[in-house]
Amino acid sequence: MFLDFVEGPLWYAAAAVFLVGVAWRLAAIARAGLKEDLSVPRTAGAPGAVATVFRRFLPHREFMRPAAFQMVAGYAFHIGLFVLVLFAAPHVEFIEQRILGFGWTPAPHWVFLLAANFAFAGLLLLWLRRMLDPVLRRISTLDDHIGTGLTFVVMFTGCMALFESHDFLRALHMLFVDLLLIYFPFSRLMHAFTFILSRGFTGATMARKGVSA
Amino acid sequence: MGKKSPEAAGRRRRMMYRALALMLAAVLLLPLVPYAVAYVGGITNPNPGADLWRQVRQRETPPEVRTQVRGVDTGVLINARGESWRQFRMEQLIPWSGWFLGGMLVAIALFYLLRGRIRIDKGRSGILVQRFTVNQRLAHWFMAVVFTILGLTGLVLLYGRFVLIPLLGPEGFSVTAAACKEIHNLFGPIFPLAVLLILFYFVRGNGFRGVDFKWLAKGGGLLGGHASAGHFNMGQKLWFWGTLLFGLSLVVSGLILDFPVFGQGRPVMEWAHFSHGIAAVLFIGGAFAHSYIGTLGMEGALEAMTHGTVDANWAKEHHDLWYAQMEAEGKVGAVPGQEAPASSGSPETAGG
Repeated sequence: MFLDFVEGPLWYAAAAVFLVGVAWRLAAIARAGLKEDLSVPRTAGAPGAVATVFRRFLPHREFMRPAAFQMVAGYAFHIGLFVLVLFAAPHVEFIEQRILGFGWTPAPHWVFLLAANFAFAGLLLLWLRRMLDPVLRRISTLDDHIGTGLTFVVMFTGCMALFESHDFLRALHMLFVDLLLIYFPFSRLMHAFTFILSRGFTGATMARKGVSA
Repeated sequence: MGKKSPEAAGRRRRMMYRALALMLAAVLLLPLVPYAVAYVGGITNPNPGADLWRQVRQRETPPEVRTQVRGVDTGVLINARGESWRQFRMEQLIPWSGWFLGGMLVAIALFYLLRGRIRIDKGRSGILVQRFTVNQRLAHWFMAVVFTILGLTGLVLLYGRFVLIPLLGPEGFSVTAAACKEIHNLFGPIFPLAVLLILFYFVRGNGFRGVDFKWLAKGGGLLGGHASAGHFNMGQKLWFWGTLLFGLSLVVSGLILDFPVFGQGRPVMEWAHFSHGIAAVLFIGGAFAHSYIGTLGMEGALEAMTHGTVDANWAKEHHDLWYAQMEAEGKVGAVPGQEAPASSGSPETAGG
């Protein structure tokens, strides 16, 4: 009954809120437009935008050492989460049966374990640093903690339900997945989509000014 | 061939019925014959098969067993030591460790009732001293979170059958235990990282010195009088090395149990289970005391791990040698975001 609800009506409602919300947020950013640049551009903006999107995957050489922790923990978490979401066997089955109608080869169990360990370790370290570092603590808002906490709980309940031994555990996981989908568009979790726009904007603006960003 | 008479057909049918009844009786009664004979004293062993299985089970050395099934322990008919392991777990590990952990909690509660919260005698000076860096606190809390998750799920797996079934019922316990098993196995491989971080960020300053033994002789000042200490006192140093020792034991035994695909047989797994259970229970008992003294038991201790700073008076009372060193280096009050101590007043008088 509970499982039917969270995988049925609530799932569809959450997915709808997620899709519409993300589209609405992206459209709002696009509609905001750009301030007219009256100066003559030194170089074209588009190549600078594309270059910056990729260049920012690593910190500047000057900041490499102070940003090393953020980079290692950040990549551990994000790559781990990517593998978990798209290649865990139960997820591939769910995507095939409920979303796309086709699937792909899931990751072997040892890859799943490795990804889960990287994701959990990275997320915990990043979250703890946010709470312990005096600067990060001051610039963090409740939204940051709710987003991180929901992500952690989704991963945690997912691992609890790993072998799908009880419907209740699967339902618990799905409940938090639904909540995360509903919360996603209205939070900083939107950075999963907006990081490209943000980097691109900075790269294009700087390129027009003739600055290497 | 003439047609058989109805009388002959009836006779044959009756004979068939009698034969079937006789066979049925034989099938039912023949297995009882050895017991009947044994009852009247005819033979001494009513079940000869038992001797065979007793010898298989209680053999001194494993017999030469050939099997088509390739794998670890596939030639073992009965793992006799499994019963010893089960008995140890059920009759010794679970009750004794339960008494130990319960005893720790009672001892801590009694200590709190008798001693109360250890206050900063001279009150807060308002002057802060940087005690731990962000990375040290990160390592500590990372260990704390991973340890708590593993500890709680491990305790459910160890005691859940006795504690949770009466509360949740068999079905509720089944769900809880399944979830805890997955979490415990999945978080286990993160624990080595936590141990390594603790080693890397805390090994400096945790070497033993003469003053530590004097501190120990004075019971850390709990028995009265002042016990001098550097950055870490003897209790903290013992906890640090205990963390590494128990941590290493848990990591090795945990990985053996978590990944049974490297050729380890049942005896190795049983030993891993012994050491994992014992080290975990001792570690958890120590963590009770550590958590108590770091939070409820001592005023001003927790902020060292939350904000990285301690009050100068707290530092003088509990780590006077370290405080003197910090003062000599001009680091007292030199905390980002905090004002330096006033030059005209001593730390004791500077604020509340």
